[in-house]
Amino acid sequence: MSIVSLGGIEKYYGDYHALRDVSVEIAAGEFFSLLGPSGCGKTTLLRVIAGFEEVTSGGVRIAGADMKGVPANRRPTNMVFQSYAIFPHLSVAENVAFGLRRAGLSREEKGRKVGAALEMVGLSGFGGRRAHALSGGQRQRVALARALILEPKVLLLDEPLSALDKKMREQMQGELRRLQRQVGITFVLVTHDQEEALTMSDRIAVMFEGRIAQLDTPEALYRRPGSREVAEFIGLMSFVDGYGASGEVEINGFGRAPLPGVPEGRVVVGMRPESLTLLAPGEGAEHRVPGSVVDRAYYGDMTFYRVALDGSDTVVGVTMKNRARREVHDIGAPVSLGWEPEALVAFPA
Amino acid sequence: MTLRAYVIAYLVFLYAPIALLPLFAFNDSTVIAFPLDDFTTKWFAELWTVEALHAALWNSLVIAVVSTLLATLLGLAAARAAAKYRFPGKQGIMGMIMLPLILPEIIVAVSLLVVVIQVLGWPLSRWTIVAAHTLICIPFSIAILNGAFRNLDAALEEAAVDLGEGRWSAFRLVTVPLIAPGIVASLLVGFTISLDEFIIAFFLSGAEPTLPVYIWGLLRFPARLPVVMALGTLLVIASILLLTFAEIMRRRGVARAGLRDKGGFL
Repeated sequence: MSIVSLGGIEKYYGDYHALRDVSVEIAAGEFFSLLGPSGCGKTTLLRVIAGFEEVTSGGVRIAGADMKGVPANRRPTNMVFQSYAIFPHLSVAENVAFGLRRAGLSREEKGRKVGAALEMVGLSGFGGRRAHALSGGQRQRVALARALILEPKVLLLDEPLSALDKKMREQMQGELRRLQRQVGITFVLVTHDQEEALTMSDRIAVMFEGRIAQLDTPEALYRRPGSREVAEFIGLMSFVDGYGASGEVEINGFGRAPLPGVPEGRVVVGMRPESLTLLAPGEGAEHRVPGSVVDRAYYGDMTFYRVALDGSDTVVGVTMKNRARREVHDIGAPVSLGWEPEALVAFPA
Repeated sequence: MTLRAYVIAYLVFLYAPIALLPLFAFNDSTVIAFPLDDFTTKWFAELWTVEALHAALWNSLVIAVVSTLLATLLGLAAARAAAKYRFPGKQGIMGMIMLPLILPEIIVAVSLLVVVIQVLGWPLSRWTIVAAHTLICIPFSIAILNGAFRNLDAALEEAAVDLGEGRWSAFRLVTVPLIAPGIVASLLVGFTISLDEFIIAFFLSGAEPTLPVYIWGLLRFPARLPVVMALGTLLVIASILLLTFAEIMRRRGVARAGLRDKGGFL
């Protein structure tokens, strides 16, 4: 059953067309992400669900109820803002208890709920602190506790990790995921970070220019991007010109391979860097082409190469896991490049 | 060294005349001149007996309180709109509102007099002065409150709404406490401006003079000068108390919002 149902949402700001015919069904208990570059409309869409933006046309239903004319304060949604919007004049406990003002609870009941919410986000004992004395990660936890204490049907998160440093961000990704499983509430996350979306989400809607370009699971998005735009936005991909005809593709510099469903005529063939291998001497592969390293970046756990194919102007990216017995190739070194036809995707050129 | 001398000279120039006020206020002579005579508090005692003075003081207080309340309320609305919304002609409209800040008061006074008497046909009263003082206080209120709103995250009010509050209670529970120092500053500045404003009050006061207009009238009677000195002394003390209160409120506001103190008026 879908908890959030968006049908044909259109949104104009004056002449600017911010959302174009957006229709999405978000399932109850799902971790759903809206992913896209800045200005693609993902935050606007989140604010439409929250009730902060009026739609020009189209309908929003949450938990079966039509949200037309329902203001943000009456919707069963709560939001974690990008800036966290922690009330600076209140203590941590007062911040978390803010939404309970109208719940008509006794002092003890309120205190118990606040305590439980703080414990859930790992901030037990922080209730008396002033909000401005907190670190970025702690502020975010307060924002989470404040939003979750109301047990919303849907929790909306607007780029919640973008203000944190890399290490903190990775830690919070795991915690958000754990929290979501624990409370079972539907999370809708807005992010421009494809890695964040991939690691956390059950499903991702990729948005460009106010439109949903593709809606899929992380794995499907990564392995079978529906368009070159999506393929470019998610992960790394090399694009090579080719020609498709009756289930086979002729790839510039690589040769011919079977590719079911390849469009007829001129195509662009996409290859993920981890689907390509630099073969060790004597190592065999069904499909291989000679080339040479033109550039190299060493990351510790892996090395990223840019390899030019012999006798063609094709250059592709290759990642190789670093192992004790595996040679790290120098720039200019001749290599043998193995590739798998199964990993290819093709788009009309 | 010359810089230090300059600073000292500057401060003496600034404060010596004010220091003279209490000196002559406690001097037992109607002549304002050295050498001083005996110590006396009779000028202060006399203040209590002059009913015209009480009427003028009351008039000034009513005008100052009402004007600053109105100006702060209107300034609050304008500053909030300027901080929160984008609308066509915003720059121009804000500029027009701020204009009285640099408009010569004599021009405001004369044109208001013409409007009130000739165009509207109203009698002059304290309420005509209230209207004029509100007008000249609004730009100060907006300037002060603009600063208060600039430091405010727009998401805070949204967060309160998101957590179940209506627009008005979100404003009251979140925005008002956070801009409270600005509101207090705006109220105090408006109060002070209205209280000692002379030109407009002189033109528009009719039969009910404000305190500055009344003091100006006293100057025609040299024998009453020491009374004016006594009154001036009380006003200086009141100003110092008011400013101290304003600064305490400001520091408290800064501490509450967790900002670093970048210095206020004092």
